[in-house]
Amino acid sequence: MPTVVLMDSSLSMTRPVSQEGSEEFQRKNLAVHGLTMLFEHMATNYKLEFTSLVAFSSLWELMVPFTRDYNTLQEALSNLEDYDKTCLESALHGVSNIVQQEWGSTCPCQVVLVTDGALGIGRGSLRHSLHTLKQRVEDKKFPLPFPFPAKMFIMCIANVEELQSTDAMDNLEQLIGLNGGEGQIFTMEGPLCLKSVQSMFGKLIDQAYTPFYAVLHCGNLASDVQVFPRPEPVLVDEEVDPIPKAVQTEVDEVGAGTTEDAEEEPSANQMAGKSPNFCVLLHGSLKVEGMVALVQLGPEWYGMLYSQADSKKKSNLMMSLFEPGPEPLPWLGKISQLGPISDAAENPYGEDDSKSPFPLQPKNKRSYAQNVTVWIKANGLQTDVQKILRNARKLPEKTQTFYKELNRLRKAALAFGFWELLKGVAELLERECTLLPDSAHPDAAFQLSHAAQQLKLASTGDSQYSAFNHNITPLHTDFSGGGAGDRM
Amino acid sequence: IMMFSVSHKTAFVVDHCPYMAESSRQMVECDMLTKSRGQGVIPLAPVSKSLWTCAVECSMEYCRILYDVYPTRKLVHYIVSDSEFHSLNSWRQEDQSTQELMAALASVGPPNPREDPECCSVLHGLVAAVESLCAITQYQHEARRTLMDVADRVANRGRIICLTNAKSDTHVRMLEDCVSETIQEQNKLAAGSDRLMPIQRCELVLVHIYPQGDDTLVSDRSRKELSSVLSSEVHSVRAGRHLASKLNILVQQHFDLASTTITNIPMKSFLCVSVTLKEEQHANTSANYDVELLHHRDAHLEFIKSGDLHMAGSTSRDSGLKETVTLKWCTPRTNNVELHYCTGAYRISPVDVNSRPSSCLTNFLLNGRSVLLEQPRKSGSKVISHMLSSHGGEIFLHVLNSTRSTLEDPPSISEGCGGRVTDYRITDFGEFMRENRLTPFSEGVLDASGRTSSERAKAQLERHTRYWPMIISQTTIFNMQAVVPLANLIVKESLSEEDVLTCQKTVFNLVDMERKNDPLPISTVGSRGKGPKRDEQYRIMWNELETLVKAHVGSSERHQRVLECISACRSKPPEEEERKKRGRKREDKEDKAEKNGKDADEKAWPDSERLKGPQEREKEEQTESEMIKDSPDSPEPLNKKPRLMSEEIQPPQKSKGPVSLLTMWTNRITATSRKHEVFAGRLNSVNNKAELYQHLKEDNGMDLHENGKATR
Repeated sequence: MPTVVLMDSSLSMTRPVSQEGSEEFQRKNLAVHGLTMLFEHMATNYKLEFTSLVAFSSLWELMVPFTRDYNTLQEALSNLEDYDKTCLESALHGVSNIVQQEWGSTCPCQVVLVTDGALGIGRGSLRHSLHTLKQRVEDKKFPLPFPFPAKMFIMCIANVEELQSTDAMDNLEQLIGLNGGEGQIFTMEGPLCLKSVQSMFGKLIDQAYTPFYAVLHCGNLASDVQVFPRPEPVLVDEEVDPIPKAVQTEVDEVGAGTTEDAEEEPSANQMAGKSPNFCVLLHGSLKVEGMVALVQLGPEWYGMLYSQADSKKKSNLMMSLFEPGPEPLPWLGKISQLGPISDAAENPYGEDDSKSPFPLQPKNKRSYAQNVTVWIKANGLQTDVQKILRNARKLPEKTQTFYKELNRLRKAALAFGFWELLKGVAELLERECTLLPDSAHPDAAFQLSHAAQQLKLASTGDSQYSAFNHNITPLHTDFSGGGAGDRM
Repeated sequence: IMMFSVSHKTAFVVDHCPYMAESSRQMVECDMLTKSRGQGVIPLAPVSKSLWTCAVECSMEYCRILYDVYPTRKLVHYIVSDSEFHSLNSWRQEDQSTQELMAALASVGPPNPREDPECCSVLHGLVAAVESLCAITQYQHEARRTLMDVADRVANRGRIICLTNAKSDTHVRMLEDCVSETIQEQNKLAAGSDRLMPIQRCELVLVHIYPQGDDTLVSDRSRKELSSVLSSEVHSVRAGRHLASKLNILVQQHFDLASTTITNIPMKSFLCVSVTLKEEQHANTSANYDVELLHHRDAHLEFIKSGDLHMAGSTSRDSGLKETVTLKWCTPRTNNVELHYCTGAYRISPVDVNSRPSSCLTNFLLNGRSVLLEQPRKSGSKVISHMLSSHGGEIFLHVLNSTRSTLEDPPSISEGCGGRVTDYRITDFGEFMRENRLTPFSEGVLDASGRTSSERAKAQLERHTRYWPMIISQTTIFNMQAVVPLANLIVKESLSEEDVLTCQKTVFNLVDMERKNDPLPISTVGSRGKGPKRDEQYRIMWNELETLVKAHVGSSERHQRVLECISACRSKPPEEEERKKRGRKREDKEDKAEKNGKDADEKAWPDSERLKGPQEREKEEQTESEMIKDSPDSPEPLNKKPRLMSEEIQPPQKSKGPVSLLTMWTNRITATSRKHEVFAGRLNSVNNKAELYQHLKEDNGMDLHENGKATR
């Protein structure tokens, strides 16, 4: 996940650090030293992650936009100038905007704030910001919590005693609290020197920047993999058992599916690695066959592996994580119910790969996939009545359609207890009967009066005629038979 | 939504008392066609729905939307109440469909206006609803079963939606008190029962329905806590479209839904356009082709957070309570690249399910097409933010990531470990994957050892990969067509007698190949110069085959028999091999001695030939000569003649001391050619030339060879 380094460039950062018998350092030098260490670590272990650098004092400036080029970051860091006082709130607004513009509101980010713990004075100081938290109007809200999921790591170029001698520590803790508790405050132990700053950044690296190594298994074939970005544990919103689910490092490939339903999931990760490697074999075959592999990441947690190519024809093995659960994709059904095709009586993919058992059809069709009747709006009802009348005038050619529409209306009217409508439509049909031209087929009159009579009977609620599953069938007359050509 | 939140159970209580038969006084004109006809036809009087009809059809809409968006786990129990309660379905998942409910409603019919109003009350239904909320659903049951010792952590919450016509605010209070008391009583009962669960939280939603034109006797009231368990809210709504939009808002609130309106739909792209226009004319409605969809509100997460919600055409509609986000249709196209940036998929339900534009759009999607949707932004720019498409008969609104992706510019896999290896068995592994594809089996199907379907799939993967070399140069047997039958069968969990026979035949076939000295596809990659000798090749092949079969020998006695067959038939029993090895060391020394002479000779071979082992070259020569010998009709290739002649000129002879490679070569060729019967013509030849067709002349004395044509 991307990182924003928010570097305090206020004047207080230039305070010298007292050291015996050696070169004199500023706090800023220590901060730069620590960040250099972080950048070097990322350049080696995290080279696919994006990092940006923001410097702030009373104003803020985006020094380096999100990049994977750690040399640029390092260079900008060494050329930082010194400015005036610390104003954290506006800087945090800046971070919020930068991240949203680049990655939107759903991409999780890490913010590394490097400061000496002198958090400004008067207006614009963190103390002032926190005091006025509850007096904000809608568009002047405090930037935390960020609109995107964020962890905030505060690196203090100061030790605990110093921070606790003022209200700095309290304020910083409050800041983490405002971020939903997501984050941590790091302080320096012992004298402020290169060694202690290294140790502090070392802890940050252990906490937030350890590479994710795993083993991908496919039966007895296996491969060590590294996953970018690091998959973070998921807190399943299930009140029964609110335990965070972490990706198990032993990744099990369950089997292969077809790409037809390759779906795009919450997060996708790249796996990278002179001896033959199973990942390369798997990737090659997935690419050639156009298939995806199902992968198990933990109990009831699945994902899929597939080959993804960019526009430059480079391709790599991608892993998409599904939402944890036994049935992550409805059209695959429960994963535990997927078994080998060799167990099936006949190959569900067909001998020539012409078929697929997927997607699974839902047991009940959705409303838009069936011919449901809704009369909430008047024109829904009007349309249905008109359909019947239009077909009534084309009897006996439209006999089947006429009765189909008639029965649809009848069913809905019975369910809604709308007997008045049944009577009304019966009257309409009787009137149609009287309006038939002389040239009309004799069968038309018989069918119209039969249909009208049946609707009237249904509207009495007599169980013999008003059963929901009963259908009005065409009257069998000496003339009927003409309707046969009209089957739907 | 939490698994067992209030929305897990919804009890509908619909008043079926005589007063519900009263007209809503909202008139519907059914007889639209008559107007255009004129000529003195008396149009049918407009019909009006009863309060009951209004309540029922709006509650069915609520259920329709709910079931579209949540096909499982969100359950409805539908109860109607008059002189007693009538339960139209149960919490069972099988009972959750609008068709089931419609059929049950038809059997209840409209309220009987002549029934004694004193006996009738909605209270019967409310009491039944509270009792029903104590009943355990199958999902709660499963959760309790899996949690066992902490089963009491499974929550029991629910909502009661009561559609009624109340007399007054006092009447409403009485209904609320009744529900509250019943909860207390039922919770006491449930506490002592294994088959019931006490209600931890209940939301009562009372909807008072009154006819159009009347003044309401009941006042609206927002949610109020009546006890630690029960909250209640009162909605006073006129029957008809007001009720419909109220329940539409409620279903959105209750199930975290949001609304998206698709605009700019090019109706011409649908086949039904002509029908639509015709119907529009008939219905005399304005041509509004926008389609409104409901879905989980997370599909709008990005808008809400970025503050683009209002920019995205969010407008208040109808009662002023309903908000919808307007997105613009983009010309449909399917480009798989776009899929990778999708961050979520949400089921949809159309608001106006059978309006023309709506059914045109849904049919278009159900037929496998996709629609990209465009979002207007604060900056004035536009971005494709969503996609509609269907999977297995269900339509999903997909959220596309419209910002930069952290996955951009990934490294190529060839830059990683094993990326430079070029002879992976890509095709074979593709075949392996196809054999290991998955397919759904019915629930609870366990095999003899109690394994689920997916466990069997994993077990099969394990068996199939016990011996699976990843690169071509690591294997001989998997490069041989002749081994395929055995290799396919041996990985099976159990073998039939016929399978064993097939495996044995495969082994016999290999023995036969060895006897005939057929070449093997042994890789020479990595080994400079010549590869292993032929017998060595077969030894490697047999060893590899044994490795494969040994990996499966524990599966069954029949697997064991296949191994036994190989051990019995394979060329070199181990002890003999040992002897052979000792002997080979001597040979190796001799080989080295030959090297100098050989190098000069090898240069004569073209590069492509050089890559082949000498054994293969020998084989080629041999087959060519055999072909010549076996088919007298074919002319001898010119370039071979000198070799055949030199064979005559330099007869084989035992040489003392180091022999030249050429001598060894010719000796060998002669030795092999002696195995075959020599062409009679060659035996009778004079100076290596034989006369063809010697007997033809004898037949009639005519010269056949005149101008190359046969003459008579």
